[in-house]
Amino acid sequence: MVKTETEEKNWVGRPVPRKEENRLLRGRGKFADDIKLRNMLYLGFVRSSYAHARIVAVDTSRAQARKGVVSVLTGPEIASETQPFLEIGPEPCAKIKDYPLAVSKIRYQGEPVAAVLAESPALAVDAVELVDVQYEPLDPVVDVEEALKDESVLHEEAATNRVWRGVFEYGNVDQAFAEAAYVVDIDRLHFHRFSSTPLETNVILAQWDGKDERIYYWCNNSFPSFAIQFLAAHLGVPIDRIRVETSDIGGSFGIKITSYPQMAVCALASRKAGGRAVKWVETRSEHMLASAHGNERTFRRTRVALDRQGVITALVSEHLDDCGAYPRYEPLGCVIWSQVFPGVYRFRNARIDFTQAVTNKCPVGPNRGYSRMQHLWFLERVVDICAHQLAIPADEMRLRNYIRREEFPYTTPNGCVYDSGNYAKMLDVAKALIGWEEWKKKQASAREEGRLIGIGIGTTLDSGTNNFGQSQIVNPAAPFSGNSQGANCKLDIYGEVVVAVGSCPQGQGHETTAAQVVADVLNIHPDTVTVRTGFDTERNVHTGFSGTYASQFAVSGLSAVHGAAQKLKHEMTRLAAFALQASSDDLEFGSGSTGPEIRSRSTGASINYWGLSNIVNVNSAVLPPELHDITLNCRYVWRAPFKVPDKEKKYGSLTLTYASQLHIAVVEIEPETFIPRILDYAAVDDCGTRINPPIVEGQVYGATAHGIGAALMERCVYDSLGNMLTSTFSDYTPITAMNMPNVKYGHIETPSPHSYSGAKGMGEGGAAPLHAISAALQDALSARGIVIADSFNNGDSLFRALAEQKSGQGTKPVKVERRS
Amino acid sequence: MYTAAFEYHRASSLEEAATMLSQIGEGAKILAGGQSLIPLMKLRLAAPSHLIDIGFTSGGSYIREEGRLLRLGALTSHAEIELSPVAQRIAIVHDCAAGIADVQVRNRGTIGGSLAEADPSGDWATALLALSAEVHLISPAGERTLALDDFIKDAYTTALRSNEVIAEIRVHVPDAGSGGAYICLKRAAPVYATASVAVELKLEGNVCRQPAIVLGCVGLRPIRVDGAEAALRGREIDDVALEAAGEAVRVAADPESDMRGSAEYKRTVAGALVKRALRAALGRARGEIVETSHLYA
Repeated sequence: MVKTETEEKNWVGRPVPRKEENRLLRGRGKFADDIKLRNMLYLGFVRSSYAHARIVAVDTSRAQARKGVVSVLTGPEIASETQPFLEIGPEPCAKIKDYPLAVSKIRYQGEPVAAVLAESPALAVDAVELVDVQYEPLDPVVDVEEALKDESVLHEEAATNRVWRGVFEYGNVDQAFAEAAYVVDIDRLHFHRFSSTPLETNVILAQWDGKDERIYYWCNNSFPSFAIQFLAAHLGVPIDRIRVETSDIGGSFGIKITSYPQMAVCALASRKAGGRAVKWVETRSEHMLASAHGNERTFRRTRVALDRQGVITALVSEHLDDCGAYPRYEPLGCVIWSQVFPGVYRFRNARIDFTQAVTNKCPVGPNRGYSRMQHLWFLERVVDICAHQLAIPADEMRLRNYIRREEFPYTTPNGCVYDSGNYAKMLDVAKALIGWEEWKKKQASAREEGRLIGIGIGTTLDSGTNNFGQSQIVNPAAPFSGNSQGANCKLDIYGEVVVAVGSCPQGQGHETTAAQVVADVLNIHPDTVTVRTGFDTERNVHTGFSGTYASQFAVSGLSAVHGAAQKLKHEMTRLAAFALQASSDDLEFGSGSTGPEIRSRSTGASINYWGLSNIVNVNSAVLPPELHDITLNCRYVWRAPFKVPDKEKKYGSLTLTYASQLHIAVVEIEPETFIPRILDYAAVDDCGTRINPPIVEGQVYGATAHGIGAALMERCVYDSLGNMLTSTFSDYTPITAMNMPNVKYGHIETPSPHSYSGAKGMGEGGAAPLHAISAALQDALSARGIVIADSFNNGDSLFRALAEQKSGQGTKPVKVERRS
Repeated sequence: MYTAAFEYHRASSLEEAATMLSQIGEGAKILAGGQSLIPLMKLRLAAPSHLIDIGFTSGGSYIREEGRLLRLGALTSHAEIELSPVAQRIAIVHDCAAGIADVQVRNRGTIGGSLAEADPSGDWATALLALSAEVHLISPAGERTLALDDFIKDAYTTALRSNEVIAEIRVHVPDAGSGGAYICLKRAAPVYATASVAVELKLEGNVCRQPAIVLGCVGLRPIRVDGAEAALRGREIDDVALEAAGEAVRVAADPESDMRGSAEYKRTVAGALVKRALRAALGRARGEIVETSHLYA
């Protein structure tokens, strides 16, 4: 296709090399632990070895006596000086008292009991061992169904382990079941607990400055505007007193959103130490044990109604979410899954009874694919299991049930609006990439040899730019709704174009994509645009939603950048019209011999950016009064066009854009060792208009790696006493490049009508590999009557499943009622 | 990740290290490559009060073939063995060295350190027990040589006296017509294996002589499987014999369930691995070039 001139001019959509690469690839990035302050102290946490216990006594005397130890903080001391953290949920959740150090009870292994402050990090670890804590063990609860029996209650003030419960019901479920040709019952499905293990662990440097009563943070929290709202209320300080700066961040995947309890301890420790700065660098074991894990979810008593053609007409199910010991970001996950209520499918009648409970395990936090991936995995399992039961091929089953291209924008049963998509086309592209027909033949001949090969499809959604109004579905009194993002675009005194955003990227390439957007607005080269990323309260561009999370920068962040650049362009136009004595219609933006400039088409006269800025900033006596409003320093806040959802009906638009992914995995269960081997893999992505294709592709590979790791290698395991068995990388084996198959990448673009550029938020990836690999294993084993009911599978679990099936011990987890 | 405080001593020779050991006594630990000891100290699972670093001694790292003996200095790194043309002639030695953890660990870790630690999941003890290997020890009181089987006592327990250090590992070069292989199943390169199997055998025509089969990671110390050896000894190794060896291995393995796998799975894996290792060993005994690799789950 011949490109038109306008397309050629656009920077958006081009594979612009990443601006941040120069710094990061040369080892010149600045990460939180690179920052060192004079007289800095180091903090170490004393952590509980029990999962559930009463604290009988904490004796800090031996630690205090140690040379180099400055002080020791304990839970009761903190509780006497602070308010418990805000709880997002209503009662009983609201009754939970969450302090950053355990006050009287331990609720998960690794929970901090005390914090020591010492002159060196090694001394801090030494002193941690000198704090003597006496515990009285209590019965631990590590299973969500056990927890809901309330036989051993974690938070006595709440009197129950249940955090939240709500029924999401739409359409006419009873009628659909009455009319169904088939009803499939699936007793239990389980989505396992894992984490995305960012390369850089949590790091906090805090200083409570007594002179100006301000609290300074240099850290790698990935949603600072959320953290400061929790911190201000907890510490009882005006929010303006808290300054948070982030710099380069080595991955978060959401896990770093919930570091605010540790942030609170560091600030309080600094205050206790007379304002000396306090640094805490989390060890890998601490990170695995006690930062945050992804949500674990159990799906009970699922019933699916289908018509004669295998089209799903209704679904009922009970979902039990395990949020670990403290809700923290929860119970938001109790509604966030409903952004993708029907997944990619057309069914209109459904009832999902959703319950969340606390257990004696590490608190959960948003983790790449947060809350939606559990639900999407569930739906993909339902579709595959029904397909196998009704002997409908997996691809055909999906085509019969997918939302159709012509139905977009598609309003889901719960009022979400899917902006655009073409799932059937993605399936075609993925099948072509993987060589579907070829693999079907190979699979058939391999089966004759007794080999177990499966081909699985995972279709998933990555919903981005969420409506915080959904918090009111979990708590009608929650004061949040909508979504916004701020940006500032200015000509600095010498005319440099500088953009500041409120995001804190962790590899998403915001410096590059923001520069591309501004370059298009001003018709300049992206290299001439400086982008300041990293959160800084004092840059004053952030809104209450600023941060980097939930697949939204391409929409919310870049819309704000675009708006700010438009505002600046408008001011520059007015100023240039005055300077060049030309009409604004006569002006064009471009670059001349002295760099970026504005020209008069008729006279050829031009003024460069230095000249423009000069008039406003340092030569302002020449400026006529009618231009006095011009600052060349333009802040713009973009607001998502959301309404508050209907809290009673749990109905409304919960997310602005819906990127979609379709993965196909070909997996063989190796003879004798039962190791699942990925033989072939295709990943097709649709995130609307791609602003920077290589960045999109990189995100797809990263999300694919996380998903494959989660499906086959990574899980957080607790024993029945609540001991975490996977607190090092020897036991929790994160995926590395060596474990990655060769991924065949493809993409389609269905531009979003909901964003100015047609782009959709992306990056989380919807955990497509979990869906595709479970489906492939199901396909490999369905002839043996085995149902893949868990999102984690490895050689051991497959060996045991086959052994149980062989010995006839396997239960029949699926029943089919055929009415016709 | 900070260790507890310790005194650091740098030995100029292995002899000096042995003297330091006897002078300091309790609480002293030898530091060689540090690939197990340092992580344990950082996790504070080990807290020796004195570390005697032998990494700066000279002459402790070598690979020499003298007659029918392969002599490996205790400080020889896994990588040096992996890349040594001399050591490569004993296939099982090369398999073991090349498959240990990752490149970083292989560059730093030493064969002597691995044997001295006697981790039931370590590689070298299992691989070398399938050969005829000895450990040469020195102390201020003198020197002695122990068969490896006598050296490894139990999990993390060796015959090393408190003033002894390993100076050399001696491996008898197998006869012509021999072949061996060492294969592990690991969940990822840097982690301990789920199960490992070492096989060494000799062929006379098609008849198997002197089979040695050793299992690692499935008991408190490497397990020599007499039953499997008996199933192979003096006969042609066909599928029936392989199955019999696999079954004997499954029975002999004595694993614990842990994060690496359930006990029953580990048993099954050991049985599967022994068949793979035997096939590779047979090929090698026949003079074929057989590439093997650990299985990564």
